[in-house]
Amino acid sequence: MISKELIHTKVITTFHKKSFNTPLIGITGGKGGVGKTTAAVNIAFAIAAKGYRVAIVDADVDAPNAAILTSLALNEPEQVYSMIPEFIETKCTRCGKCVKACRRNALFMPSDSLPVLIGDCNGCETCMLVCPDNAIQKGSRPVGCTYKTQSGSITLYTGELYEGAEESAFVVSALQARLAKHADDFDIIIVDTAPGTHCNVISALRGVDAAYAVTEPTPLGAHDLESILKLLNLFEIKSSIILNRSDLPGSESKIRTLVSEFKSDIPASIPMHESVEKSYAEGRPVVIMFPDSEPAKIFFTLSDSIIREYIR
Amino acid sequence: MKLCITSMGRHIDDKIDERFGRASYFLIIDTETMEIEPVQNDAQSAEQGAGIKAAQIVRDKGVDAVLTGFLGPKASSALASSKIKIYENASSKDTVKDAIEKFKNRGYTETIHDPSVQRRTGR
Repeated sequence: MISKELIHTKVITTFHKKSFNTPLIGITGGKGGVGKTTAAVNIAFAIAAKGYRVAIVDADVDAPNAAILTSLALNEPEQVYSMIPEFIETKCTRCGKCVKACRRNALFMPSDSLPVLIGDCNGCETCMLVCPDNAIQKGSRPVGCTYKTQSGSITLYTGELYEGAEESAFVVSALQARLAKHADDFDIIIVDTAPGTHCNVISALRGVDAAYAVTEPTPLGAHDLESILKLLNLFEIKSSIILNRSDLPGSESKIRTLVSEFKSDIPASIPMHESVEKSYAEGRPVVIMFPDSEPAKIFFTLSDSIIREYIR
Repeated sequence: MKLCITSMGRHIDDKIDERFGRASYFLIIDTETMEIEPVQNDAQSAEQGAGIKAAQIVRDKGVDAVLTGFLGPKASSALASSKIKIYENASSKDTVKDAIEKFKNRGYTETIHDPSVQRRTGR
């Protein structure tokens, strides 16, 4: 367990830096299947409906699905590469230092040839650093792809990790780099993270002005909400809670306890409603398909408060 | 020939360890003189790439063949790249001594490394 004291102020400062001024809002939540992407696309479309240019970033590259919930095609593919070592025959003395240094044990030194990459390389370049003869040059291999799809005032940035590639972090970073290049084209950016509290969730939340943790009033929802609130607290990210399926009988009191414990708030409680199910099934945001439904109204109200607080 | 057998312990009477990368010991046996060198497997607790690291250990010992229960594709490709022969299907019910006997009587068939098998991993 990492204590807050151990994280240097510098880490926090770096974490909150971003290379653009456009407001960046994270949608996260710890638990899978609570409606993070549903919330992200509805907030994005509700803000866009007010005439703002909105980017949605689907940072769950292991299971990207914002495109499905918005029925948007995947356009403008850009390949993502990761570094792999390439050994220079004339320089390599077969000293084996790279093989020993590789923390993933990905390199193997055969009896009568250059070192070979057999295992899972994460592109850390340690082998290059320890090589005394500069016998390793940077090679690359494709590990995934990012996409940019514009439709009206909505632009979807998404990415996918290729089957067999191990490191989704490359794709998340490439997605963020691609977004940063065009960030000034938007009035607001909504980033939808993967479930969990792991590295890719943390890196997806880098630079956010605030994060909304989506949860549901179930024991699992409460449990995972606590994890994500701890994480947001650790990184000093302003948190609010979107309580989805709010009329599920169960653990709302637990959620309320967490809200006061972490000084958070619940700006939106969305009850179960057939409009949400229908929109989910059809892949069209509820704010577009049923703008007069109760859930859509809640998303519009929430979006108005986001506009007031963060845009301009 | 120098034969490497994966073992639960340092002795010839110890049982076979069917794992390769996560084996406890490698017993390196000179099949002519029956001289035995036990080597503790430093790769056993590796977070990742235990098979490749273990292959490096036995390659560095200059073995000609490996006899184990099952070999993952990465370890298998590492050994194949150094022309080390692979014999699988050794059983943990047998001792190393039993396995040597069986090996000498051609009781194991050589596994030919198939480079197309990529994503199966050994445990």
